[in-house]
Amino acid sequence: MSARGDAAEDSTFVRTYTLTRGRTRPRHLLGLDTVLDAGPGRPGPGQAEECEEILALCREHRRSVTELAGRLGRPVTAVKILVSDLLDADALVVPVTAPYAASGTDADARPSLQMLAALSAGLKRKWPDAIAYLQAG
Amino acid sequence: MPSPTSRPDDPAAALRTPSRPHSDAPTVLKIVIAGGFGAGKTTAVGAVSEITPLSTEEYLTEASTGVDSLEGVEAKQTTTVAFDFGRLSLPDAPVPLELFLFGTPGQDRFVDLWYDLSRGAVGAVVLIDTRRLETSFTPVSFFEDIGLPFVVAVNHFDGAHRYQPEQVRAALELPACVPVVTCDARNPSDVAGVLLTLVGHAENAPATPVHPAPNATLQDA
Repeated sequence: MSARGDAAEDSTFVRTYTLTRGRTRPRHLLGLDTVLDAGPGRPGPGQAEECEEILALCREHRRSVTELAGRLGRPVTAVKILVSDLLDADALVVPVTAPYAASGTDADARPSLQMLAALSAGLKRKWPDAIAYLQAG
Repeated sequence: MPSPTSRPDDPAAALRTPSRPHSDAPTVLKIVIAGGFGAGKTTAVGAVSEITPLSTEEYLTEASTGVDSLEGVEAKQTTTVAFDFGRLSLPDAPVPLELFLFGTPGQDRFVDLWYDLSRGAVGAVVLIDTRRLETSFTPVSFFEDIGLPFVVAVNHFDGAHRYQPEQVRAALELPACVPVVTCDARNPSDVAGVLLTLVGHAENAPATPVHPAPNATLQDA
């Protein structure tokens, strides 16, 4: 929770909406965990310099919306608006991984048992000392 | 228990978001770590994350409560919520995986955020500090209500009285099927053990979709 005063809070708002040129809603439906990859397109002229930062970060490694917002030190909504601009310009793309493609339309889908088993195996390999507590009953 | 507000139809949803088939990209899975202020969420995320945990801010708009609205205009207040993000890759898993960890505050006015994060998640860890057990009630009932598998992890702080998991289970009125474990949030193997416990629990949990059950009242009959 922010402990800043009202004046500081107000000026943060002003800065944020200057960044998004007054827009308050992103054009694309993006989740906090939506992953973004650099695409073939170039951002249009007159974009905020944060757009270049986003592109540079995504060229290095694909990044989630949350990670981009955290690295830029900007609120998630503002970053979603900038990311939407970059998606429109094809400068960013959303990589679709094969296992998710099947259930891409079902927002409530939970990871499959196969994915959970793979996660378990991956965690055990990374931390051989980790112990899962088995629940009796 | 506040329930997530229904989402207005988003005009953006109709837009085609450019995507690229990318079969070699690792699959992303996510786990939510919820807990009260100071319960050790950032520490737990940092113990296993490959990046320094990032603190990300989001604005939340909430209807003001406790004040009568004037002339039918609903007063809305915008607050800032900060949550933690960490990630780790598991290239040696049978399927290449990337795991996202979201650390979220425990107050009930953030349920919309929890709801967003819970969608499609493996499950949740409710991290508790036994000195402030009351901060765990809201996340526990939230995850119970939406049917997301969760485990309770007691972070053992130096100097804090060490409660037995069964005492914590009784205090939180947890059903027998919910695992209660203890950990040191600073220790990567401990935190990985908590995550493994959650994954094992999720594998055994019935696959209920993550949304409030419309027939919940009927099932009580």
